[in-house]
Amino acid sequence: MAAISSLAGSVRERAAGAAFDAGGSAGASSGAHLQTSAISIQNCSLTFGSVRVLNGVSLDVRSGEFMSILGPSGCGKSTLLRLILGLLRPDQGGGITLHVPREEIGIVFQKPVLMPWQTAIQNIELPLNIGPQRAKQSKAERRERAEWTLELVGLADFRNHYPQQLSGGMQQRIAIARALAANPSILLMDEPFGALDEFTREKLNIELLRLWANPDTKLNTVVMVTHSIQESVLMSDRIVMMSPRPANVSDIVQVPLAHPREAEMQELPAFLSTVREIRKQVKAL
Amino acid sequence: MTTKIKDVLYPIAFAVGLILIWEAVVRIFDIPLYLLPAPSDIARVVDGELLRNMGATLYEAVLGFLLANVLGFLTAILFVHSRPAEKGIFPLAIALKTTPVVALAPLLVIWLGTGYWSKVAASMIICFFPILVNSVKGLKAVEHEAWELFSAYKGTKAEIFWKLRLPTSLPYVLSALKISSSLAIVGAIVGEFVGSNKGLGYLVLLSSYHLDTPVMFSAIAAAAVAGLILFGIIASVEKRVIFWQKVDEV
Repeated sequence: MAAISSLAGSVRERAAGAAFDAGGSAGASSGAHLQTSAISIQNCSLTFGSVRVLNGVSLDVRSGEFMSILGPSGCGKSTLLRLILGLLRPDQGGGITLHVPREEIGIVFQKPVLMPWQTAIQNIELPLNIGPQRAKQSKAERRERAEWTLELVGLADFRNHYPQQLSGGMQQRIAIARALAANPSILLMDEPFGALDEFTREKLNIELLRLWANPDTKLNTVVMVTHSIQESVLMSDRIVMMSPRPANVSDIVQVPLAHPREAEMQELPAFLSTVREIRKQVKAL
Repeated sequence: MTTKIKDVLYPIAFAVGLILIWEAVVRIFDIPLYLLPAPSDIARVVDGELLRNMGATLYEAVLGFLLANVLGFLTAILFVHSRPAEKGIFPLAIALKTTPVVALAPLLVIWLGTGYWSKVAASMIICFFPILVNSVKGLKAVEHEAWELFSAYKGTKAEIFWKLRLPTSLPYVLSALKISSSLAIVGAIVGEFVGSNKGLGYLVLLSSYHLDTPVMFSAIAAAAVAGLILFGIIASVEKRVIFWQKVDEV
C-alpha cells in the first residue's frame, strides 16, 4: 500500500498535507503554489426557460485531487458536469476553462448505460471506436486497451458476458472501465454508485480510490457528484457543497484524512467530525 | 428440452383432436358438403392448382411487405431527423391508416390493373403504418444518457445512428414486422377479391360462385398457412437479430 501512495507522487503529498491541517484553512495555503488547476469554472449560470438551475458558480478543480460535489437532489450538480463536458453551454458571462485536452475527460453516469447488444469487452471498447479516437489506434490496439481496463476492474472472467447477465455493481464497474479505456486524466462521475446497495457501494468506493491511485493509469483527478455525505467524506480531498436551486457553491470542505483511504476510516474521529460538520451545514442551507 | 417438445407436441395433439372431432361430427350428423365439408373432403381438393394460387398470393404479399417496410423505415429515419417532415407527413400517414384498404382496393385495380401490382400496393398500404409508427418510436427510444455518452466522446451523427439508434430500434422494428407479416396476406387477398384471375382471394371468390365449399375451405386454410409461414420466418429472424432480449431469460 505504501508503494502505491509513494508512486502516485506529488499528487498524494498534497492530499496528505491537507490531512495534517485538520483546520483546513492552513492546508489550502501550505501547498498553494504547487496546485495547478485542471478545470476552472467561472461565474457559470444556467437557465432553462424560466428556471434558473445554476447561479454564478465559480469553482476550481485542482489537478490531482479527488473532489466531491455534494448537494440535495435536483440542485444542479449533474448539470455542472454536463457544462464541463460541453453537453450544455453556460448563460452569457459564464466560462469554463479546461487545462487538459477535452479528450482527457471521461464520464461515468449513475446508470451504467451499457449497450445490451454488446458484450462487456465490446462495451468497454465503445469510446475507442467512435469519434476522433477511432483513428488514433489500430483495431488490435483498441482491443488490447479494452482488455487491460477490463482486467483493471477485475472482470476479466466476464469478458464475453452481456450486461443483462451481470449484477448492478459489475455493470457499473464495466462503465468505469469504459471511461478508463479512453485513458482520461480527469474522470467526471455523476452519482456513480447511487443506484447500488450499501455493500457494493462501499466496495466500489474503495476500488475507485485504488484506480485513482494506480500509477499505471493516466487518471489523476476525479470530480464525483454525490448526495451521500459519508461517501463524499470517505473518498474526497475536498467537498464542494452546493446550495439548493438555483445552485451555488455554499462552501468547500477539506477532508482531514490521509491516503490511502480504507473503509475502516469511517470510525475515525476526524471522519465523524467532518461528517457532523457537513451535516450541520446541510441543515443550515 | 422436454418442455420444448411439449411446446410443440401439445398444440399439434390438440389440433389433430379437433380435426378428428370435426370429421366425426360431419359424418355422424351427415352434414351436407356445401355447408360444412369434412377435413377429408377438404384434403381431397388440395392440388397443384391450390399451391399455385397460394404461391401467387405469397408473392404479392411478400413483395408488398418488403417494399412497405423498407419505405416505412426510411420514412421513420426522415421523421426522427426532421421535425417539419414528421409534423407534415405523420397526419397524412394516419389518414391513410384510417382509410380501410377494402375501400381503396377498387381504385388500386383501376390505377394498376388486375395484375400483381394492385395487390402488392394493397399489401403495402396495410403494412406501411405499423412499421412507420414502431420505427419512429424505436429510433426515439434512445436513453438520454446513452446519447450523452456518444456526444461526450464526439461520436459522429452516423456513428450515433449505426451504433446506437439502429440497434435500439430493432426490437420495435421486429415487432412491427411480426404484426404486418400477417396483414400482408390480408392486403393481397383484398386486392384479389376486387379483380384478378389468380391467388387465394380469387379462389375463395370463384368457389363461392360455384358453391364449391371444400375448395373454399382449402383456400382459406392455405391463406392461414401462408400467414403462419411469414410469421414464423419473422419470429425466427427476431430471435436471431434481437438475441440480447433472450439472454436474460436463459
